[in-house]
Amino acid sequence: MGIFESLKARFGEAIGDAREFRGEETIYVSKEYLKNICLWLRDVKGFNFLVDLCGVDRGVGKTDRFEVVYLLRNMDTREQVRLKVRIRDGERVDTVSDVWPTANWHEREVYDMFGIEFEGHSNLERLYLPDDYEGFPLRKDYPVRGDTNRIFYEGGAKTKYKPKRNDTTILNMGPQHPSTHGVLRVILELEGETIVDACPIVGYLHRGTEKLAEQKTYFQVLPLTDRLDYLAPPSNNLAYILAVEKLLGIEPPARAKYIRVIMTELARIASHLIWLGTHAMDIGAATVFLYTFREREYIYELWEMVAGARFHQSYFRIGGVKEDLPEEFIPALKKFVDTFPRKIDEYEGLLTNNKIWRVRTEGVAVLSKEDAIRYGVTGPILRGSGVKWDLRKAYPYSGYEEFRFEIPVGEVGDTFSRYLVRLEEMRQSREILKQAVEKLPDGPIKFEPGKYSFPDPEEVKGSRANIEALIHQFKQVIEGVKPPVGEVYQAVEAPKGELGFYIVSDGSEKPYRMRIRSPSLINLQALPLLVRGHKVADVVTAIGSIDIVLGEVDK
Amino acid sequence: MLETVILTIAKIIIFFAVLMFFVAYGTYAERKVAGGIQDRIGPLHCGPFGLLQPLADGLKLFFKEDITVAKSDKPTYYIAPILAVVPAILVIAVIPVDENIMITDLNIALLYFLAVSSLSVYAIMLGGWAGNSKYPLLGGLRSASQFISYELVLGLSIVCVAMLVGSFSLRDVVLYQKDMWMVFKQPIAFICYMIAAIAELNRAPFDLPEAESELVGGYHTEYSSMKFAMFFLGEYANMVVSSAIATCLFLGGWYAPFSILPFIPGFIWFLIKTFLIFFFMLWIRWTYPRVRFDQLMGMSWKVLMPVVLLNILVTGFIVTFGR
Repeated sequence: MGIFESLKARFGEAIGDAREFRGEETIYVSKEYLKNICLWLRDVKGFNFLVDLCGVDRGVGKTDRFEVVYLLRNMDTREQVRLKVRIRDGERVDTVSDVWPTANWHEREVYDMFGIEFEGHSNLERLYLPDDYEGFPLRKDYPVRGDTNRIFYEGGAKTKYKPKRNDTTILNMGPQHPSTHGVLRVILELEGETIVDACPIVGYLHRGTEKLAEQKTYFQVLPLTDRLDYLAPPSNNLAYILAVEKLLGIEPPARAKYIRVIMTELARIASHLIWLGTHAMDIGAATVFLYTFREREYIYELWEMVAGARFHQSYFRIGGVKEDLPEEFIPALKKFVDTFPRKIDEYEGLLTNNKIWRVRTEGVAVLSKEDAIRYGVTGPILRGSGVKWDLRKAYPYSGYEEFRFEIPVGEVGDTFSRYLVRLEEMRQSREILKQAVEKLPDGPIKFEPGKYSFPDPEEVKGSRANIEALIHQFKQVIEGVKPPVGEVYQAVEAPKGELGFYIVSDGSEKPYRMRIRSPSLINLQALPLLVRGHKVADVVTAIGSIDIVLGEVDK
Repeated sequence: MLETVILTIAKIIIFFAVLMFFVAYGTYAERKVAGGIQDRIGPLHCGPFGLLQPLADGLKLFFKEDITVAKSDKPTYYIAPILAVVPAILVIAVIPVDENIMITDLNIALLYFLAVSSLSVYAIMLGGWAGNSKYPLLGGLRSASQFISYELVLGLSIVCVAMLVGSFSLRDVVLYQKDMWMVFKQPIAFICYMIAAIAELNRAPFDLPEAESELVGGYHTEYSSMKFAMFFLGEYANMVVSSAIATCLFLGGWYAPFSILPFIPGFIWFLIKTFLIFFFMLWIRWTYPRVRFDQLMGMSWKVLMPVVLLNILVTGFIVTFGR
């Protein structure tokens, strides 16, 4: 019996109809029973993980204007189900933040962007935008450039935080601080140097990527995704492109898949190198930072060979990649694969058995297995807490099922476990790269070039010019691709965790709604849990150990 | 009489100039050593091998905007940077560079050193207090407790030496080491002295009052321009002076190691040894992470204090019954 049937049997009228698109099941439920349904799914059916929660505006004038979308996952059986609640403008929905604590920030974001209020939420405040901001930007009737006649926000820092006790000091950390890794602000409540509570405040780098995406064609959205986790752009590109491909129902050729794997695994290594360097620097070991940048520079040179850009490559295309690998790339990559293990040993030599490093990381910022799942934490943090979960194994994409690699798992869930997990991940990524170089197949690099992406320039105006390609070029520029009506969620195992794109298509050339499930944001939500009772210095350790990128946190 | 005064003034000027030279090139050494350790080059463009870099840095700091925090406690805000430099300079009065090259041979030189050098805590405490800001305040608080803890360890490890020598004069201490350096007789005291000295100097891995990754800049967050430079001048001057004292106490001052190469003048040996200890401090800084505040305090009271007290006890027995 499927989820829909058992839900229908249990809740009857409260369950609306179900739809399936590209193998993803969507069930409409009534808002009165939402909480009961969620509790039942969690406790009876084992849907212990809330992957994503977002809102969709169906357009002004629709009777049930808003949808709240819940994506649930059973981590044991790997089942996923999407629940949808439809509500009218001004109606309230029950909160699920007491069912899955991770929903807390999700619901604040929905409130921030759509103005949907959640009944029973503990602190329903705007997540990204300032308190006195007017309007809800992701509503379809909200102008994309904002209301230019009004000045919305004149600046000035407001502290929403109310101290828990009256004998404590409030220390404001950030948004300008050397160790918050960007414009993150954390309000710390201190007793001496001991932390009573911490309150992360995000949104200083909010650029409205989701709103912007609604104004651009599917291909034009791609460069926006580079700017999310700007330390690993290929991962973001991959997640987005895979989502669009899933929407279109196409599959890239094998060579393109391998090239994508090479690029994203390099991205994982590059991202972890930055993490290691900055994390060690936060704890006071400045030298590792310079060492990791040396290797990262080499990766950037590799990327430059392939994509022409070092940082924001936008190299993947719908149905493939832009160009084939240059000749000099594979030897250079082989050299990297051969020398890299020695470099990791070098970092380990400086840190792993260093007594000071051990006392600074062991037992610091512990996250238990249960809390990790409750708070929706993903990536190396989840694995550091002892959950063997990796999307590359759980839902293989882009040909990952053809590679042999291990999922490193930590035991304690402290900073040191996460450190070991990430180091091992770098070794495993190198292992994947090695296999990819050996097995790299020949063949085309695009699925039906011209139909889903731009045709070869040679065919448009060069020696092999033909009218067919010219028409394709024209069509691509004018309208791009038009996927069928539907909605998909596609996630990849990005260096920071589960990066997912939920795209709703209305059949036009632009995404109707694009939702980004950014791992950094959701992982950051667990910060107060990690640092309570520790010292000020441990906040820095914890932030470094979560490995956030503000481009992704603030979207 | 007049001759003595002129001679003393001349000596003070020379000692001061040499100290300032070492301070300036201490920063250069720091950056070159850091560069070497970190697989890069370090300063290169100011003069040959970047040798004019300290001058350029000094000039730059002079011409930076001098900010005074509006809501600061003005007198303390101005006094703190001065206090950071003065104690380090005062200590050079008692350092014997060679058997007969020193400003004065004070018979309580060691006590004088402890008394004067412990004044520099006021710079950090007052600097942290005066800025009227929370990060410097935390830095100031940390430094106060750190100084109290490590000043004890430092003092007690010097006591071990003084017990053997039977004098507080630094000249006597060095003369006592003519045949065998103190480091071989008192290795534990030497280790304790080095740890305590690094902690007193706020150098990594014990640079908690500063702790840039946590406390932004700690006690000097609210200082700019030359006031900021004064703190650093003080830090490097203290480093040089501490290295010099360590050389006198444990490494046989001006004596050549095992009487080899006796034709090299004593003060050269002295400078070489001082620089070696200085280098050791740089080496440590660029290799180790920073310890946490509570761990630092724990180490002082739970490890170093018992060890050094035991060392005093054993030394006492040896001094009393060994003769």
